[in-house]
Amino acid sequence: MSLGLLVVGAPRGAAADVEALLARLPPALPVPVALVLHRGPFDALAAPLGRGCPFPVVEPDDKDDLVPGRVHLAPAGYHLLVDRGTVVLSVEPPEHGCRPAIDALLESAADSYGASAAGLLFTGHEDGVAGLARLQARGGQVATVGEAEAGLEGGVEHLAPAEVDAWLGRLLHAPRGRVVP
Amino acid sequence: MSGGASGAALESLEADLLLEGVARHWGFDLRSHARPLLLRRLRRHLREERLASFSALQARVLHDAQALESLLRALSCAEPTLFTDAAFFRDFRARVVPVLRTWPSVRVWHVGCGTGEDTHALAILLHEEGLWGRCRLYASDACEGVLADARTGVVPLPDAAAARRYEESGGRGRLASWYTRDGDWAQLRPELRDGIFFTQHNLATDGSFNEFQVIVCRDVLLAFNRSLHNRAHTRLHESLARFGYLCLGRKESLSRTPQVAAYEELEGSGRIFRRVT
Repeated sequence: MSLGLLVVGAPRGAAADVEALLARLPPALPVPVALVLHRGPFDALAAPLGRGCPFPVVEPDDKDDLVPGRVHLAPAGYHLLVDRGTVVLSVEPPEHGCRPAIDALLESAADSYGASAAGLLFTGHEDGVAGLARLQARGGQVATVGEAEAGLEGGVEHLAPAEVDAWLGRLLHAPRGRVVP
Repeated sequence: MSGGASGAALESLEADLLLEGVARHWGFDLRSHARPLLLRRLRRHLREERLASFSALQARVLHDAQALESLLRALSCAEPTLFTDAAFFRDFRARVVPVLRTWPSVRVWHVGCGTGEDTHALAILLHEEGLWGRCRLYASDACEGVLADARTGVVPLPDAAAARRYEESGGRGRLASWYTRDGDWAQLRPELRDGIFFTQHNLATDGSFNEFQVIVCRDVLLAFNRSLHNRAHTRLHESLARFGYLCLGRKESLSRTPQVAAYEELEGSGRIFRRVT
């Protein structure tokens, strides 16, 4: 199945790695990116993350469209969810002490995109592990960056930061399924 | 189809049947709610009720009004703190209150009041600004259960963070002077409680019930999908007097609604709009 969405989750400690990843994304990215980075209520994140990134990093409003070639960053104080091309924000209670929470995004991506979503989790926090497992169970391509995380096994690729580009490249250039007449 | 994917399809089907059942039997139509949000809250509710599937929940909800009530309660998720978003109250004081002072009477509608914390915060603000005498504050929610909580005027005891937010919001006294402590709870002063009209109203299905000069509807429409979201905005527009104020959540916009041209956003305010046509 061809890729429809890239979801990225990262704890606060991985902020620099996320910035580096965004800076290296291919300029003609054909899919939307949804990103949860753990943050406090007042962090200004979109501007610093957008500096090195070849395309816009926005904090979307509720019900905005997911646009290819744009990074949709979870706003402070809201969970970021996705629903078939649309952003859904939520003020449900924090999960693992975090709002935005990574699990919330990954779970919604698993529900509405399933096998056409790819999930990348920067490890170092329990948040995101359950969501990544769910996305994997629904057929999505998943990988982790950083230390191996307990609770994830079988089919989850562990990448070194330098390998992320190659992983993305593989996903984006996967041959399309044959068209059934 | 892999095991996970077929499980997902089955869960989705069960969710549809549950929503269909609730709509047809109880008249509560949740089918136009934002799907990912609804699924998350339903799953959390399942875990709390120790049920294995949406079908099990359906069987219970269809036969038991209490179970429906607790389901609806699980779907509403207002935060149980006073002055949750200090920036909103600060902007409201600075930008809206001066105009309200020039009007002889003001009807305020707080939509989706949940258990009433924000309603009481709004009442405190209006009281401090000397507007309480000519304000009528209506607060509504779709769920009768949470309204019953709201009517008591009892909220969890505000902590130091709440007191700080109250100050940031421009509070003119001490937050503690607005309630009496009862263990871990705070009983708000009766003059606040007695001036608020709590009423059941479902924005998704019920019509407009009055004309208001101020409508506060913050983070309520997040729960709706795009088409219901737009219908709800039509309802809000019908219910708002010309030159009245519509207060939305920090990340809610009118840009995709049919009413976008009918409002002007107050510059520098966190999503406070004025109806111009």
